Amino acid sequence: MIAEDSALLREGLAGLLEDAGHDVVARVGDGESLVAVVAEHAPELAIADVRMPPGFSDEGMRAASEIRSRFPSTAVLMLSQHVETRHALELVRSGGGFGYLLKDRVLDVDDFLETARRVASGGSALDPEVVATLIPAPGDPDPLAELTPREHEVLGLMAEGRTNAGIAQRLWLTEKTVETHVRAILGKLGLPVSTDDNRRVLAVLAYLRSPSS
Amino acid sequence: MGIARLLAWLVAAVSIGLVGLSLVLDQIASRGGVPGTGSRWLYPFLFVAVAGPALVGATLAARRSGNRVAWILLLGGLLVAVPLAAEPYAKIALLAHPGSLPAGAWAGLISDSFWPFFFAGPLALAYTFPDGRLAAPRWRPFALVAAVSIPLLVLLVAAMDDPLGPPFGAVGSPLPFTLPGPESIRTPVWLALFATIIAGAVSLRARYRGSAGVERLQLRWLLWAALLVPAGFAGCLVWGAIAGEGGDLVLADLLAAQAAAALAVGVAVSRHGLYEIDRLINRTLVYAVLTALLGACFGGVTIAAGVIAGRGSSWTTAAATLAVALVFRPLRSRVQALVDRYFDRARYEGLALVRSFEAAVREGHVAPEDVGATLAAALGDSRAELLFWLPETETYVDATGSPPDQAPDGRARTEATRRGTRLGLLLHDPALSERRDLLASVLAAAGLTIEIARLRVEVKTQLAHVEASRERIVEAGYAERHRLERDLHDGAQQRLVSLGLHLRRLQRSLPRQARIVGPALGEAVDEIGHAITDLRQLAAGVRPARLDEGLPAALADLARGIPIEVEVKAEPERLPPSIEAAAYFVACEALTNAAKHASASRVAITTCRDGDRFVISVQDDGVGGAKQRRGTGLAGLNDRVEAHGGQMRIESSRDAGTLIEAVLPCAS
Repeated sequence: MIAEDSALLREGLAGLLEDAGHDVVARVGDGESLVAVVAEHAPELAIADVRMPPGFSDEGMRAASEIRSRFPSTAVLMLSQHVETRHALELVRSGGGFGYLLKDRVLDVDDFLETARRVASGGSALDPEVVATLIPAPGDPDPLAELTPREHEVLGLMAEGRTNAGIAQRLWLTEKTVETHVRAILGKLGLPVSTDDNRRVLAVLAYLRSPSS
Repeated sequence: MGIARLLAWLVAAVSIGLVGLSLVLDQIASRGGVPGTGSRWLYPFLFVAVAGPALVGATLAARRSGNRVAWILLLGGLLVAVPLAAEPYAKIALLAHPGSLPAGAWAGLISDSFWPFFFAGPLALAYTFPDGRLAAPRWRPFALVAAVSIPLLVLLVAAMDDPLGPPFGAVGSPLPFTLPGPESIRTPVWLALFATIIAGAVSLRARYRGSAGVERLQLRWLLWAALLVPAGFAGCLVWGAIAGEGGDLVLADLLAAQAAAALAVGVAVSRHGLYEIDRLINRTLVYAVLTALLGACFGGVTIAAGVIAGRGSSWTTAAATLAVALVFRPLRSRVQALVDRYFDRARYEGLALVRSFEAAVREGHVAPEDVGATLAAALGDSRAELLFWLPETETYVDATGSPPDQAPDGRARTEATRRGTRLGLLLHDPALSERRDLLASVLAAAGLTIEIARLRVEVKTQLAHVEASRERIVEAGYAERHRLERDLHDGAQQRLVSLGLHLRRLQRSLPRQARIVGPALGEAVDEIGHAITDLRQLAAGVRPARLDEGLPAALADLARGIPIEVEVKAEPERLPPSIEAAAYFVACEALTNAAKHASASRVAITTCRDGDRFVISVQDDGVGGAKQRRGTGLAGLNDRVEAHGGQMRIESSRDAGTLIEAVLPCAS
């Protein structure tokens, strides 16, 4: 289902998802009806805008946290016009089934559909711009200084919530190489090696948030 | 016009006519070889001594015909005028031109016997002033004795004087019968009259002691008139010592006192100018004492100079005059201070307080705005409060520039002015209204200080207005940026996303064979993606959306966008949005300066909260030399910081880096 106050974008998104073979069970324009409709249809995934009527501040985000706590079986993918980390990180950290993307990511249709699928099946997604705000720039006096530039890239993609396969596809590497990088990164940062993608994201995020900011 | 009013003016006219006639007759008598009662220069004194009470009495009676004091004045004046006119009449008829006028013997009898009536007016006033009633019932016997003894005395004198008294010793009484017996019969009546005079004085004193408010002031007026008598005597004694002749002067003084008493009664009863009395008494005392002292000085110098230069030398007069001229000014201020001190301690101490405050202001120890507290102390009224007049807004404000509580609280109001310009308003205890002289002199003495304080308060208020409006303008700017940022995100950017999405769907719905249109659409969508990114950056420049998350997040974003190493140490505590925005733009401008002009390689941004001050400092390791110049970003930054009531500091010496620090007030 889709909650988005701009009708044009809402219909565009719905068309995109239907083209890809998904069922769009409801389309609403504000945060309150979003929660109500989720309660009614119990969809696999709710795609919601952060700013919606009436206040145009963070109605979508508040609806999302309500959905995540009341209807854990419904995953939420938030779309935003600009980078905002406060609520996004909290929700990502509260477990899988949540994603946060800038709106223009939908233009990269395949990647967007893949992310939506991943979130719907309990994964996490964090926009690269948000991840960038967490990772200090290369060269800064930071705990990531030991990472090679390539490992840096891989770490960012890990934080976005991507699977090894996704990372491999992105960087034009084999999955095996990615696995090696991941193990090296986790080793250097002293994080537990885990095959569960979601838990891996949390660990990485927790690490990135705590010491540097 | 009522009969009473008509009668009042009639009595007055008769009295004045009689005294005028007496002067003319006196002149004729002295031409005829019979000397008058005194020197010719006494004429005006004689005239006003009768005309004064008559006119004042008539005026008062015309206003309120039931006023007893008015009739006392009128009748008192008439009783003086009658013998005054009778004497020269008798002189002409009996001595100068015998037989020229009728009833000369009767006039002589009146002149001879009526003089106890001189006491009638003053005595009646002593018992009944100011309300026309006795102060207490216990004074009734004394008043009765007085009322009986005066006419009795007149009757006894008239009945027993045969022949008449001097200068008519050769004339027999015109009465058909005379009372035989020794003159000592009159003595007890005399004693009774003196006793009632003393009792009258005691009654007046008792009334004064028990009086308050307006009545006290009325009594003070009478007191002032009475004061003229001893003051006049003192002056006469001095003058007599110098000039060797004082009899007529004493007479003149008594006559003037009579007129002054009438005037005083007029003021007291009509209550017009009632409150000036304290100043009047003060001045009278000062000038009486001053005259006596200057006379003594003149006399002393004359005698001393006479011993040296010889009697009659013109040098002695010159020296004495010079001495008097020299001591006049210092003596006057000394006497004034002395009189203030002993006769009006409150005024003396109040003025001393005001003067010492003015001196403290001049030396910069106190702020002129505290003058209100000094006035309160000087007036002995702890509730007194001074408000300042702001002509621009036509309002009164207190020393802090804020409007006072408008609720009436029973305090009286007196305006403070200087040279006709309104300065402020003194709220004070209504009881002080009875000491208008004290109020006026304290306010006058503090005039300059009040004016300075008023100007300072005015400037302060205007500055506060300007500062507040500047802050509002800057905050409106932030709000506008916020709105613009939102419009960019939710408007243009949203539309671009929709457009791109539609194109993308179009592209995906094309058959695989569309090899030209497909890639072209793809490129178009990529372009739209770039446009969105540009737009987002533009919006972030207008106002970073991450300011919503707090200053540290926004500063961290800012640091990431700069190609040099930036260390941010920002406290996570939230501040008012306008302060966060101001701090953000300080950091922004300082970073731009570091990156563009200072060739810095490292920048440290630090924020810290210190009570109600928030400090953000940006230190770089560049070439330094940054200056605030008109039109530069740093100058604009300074304006922005000052608009929030903050301060900005730039330390930038050559090759020592630049420190830009802004201190912003933030109430918690």
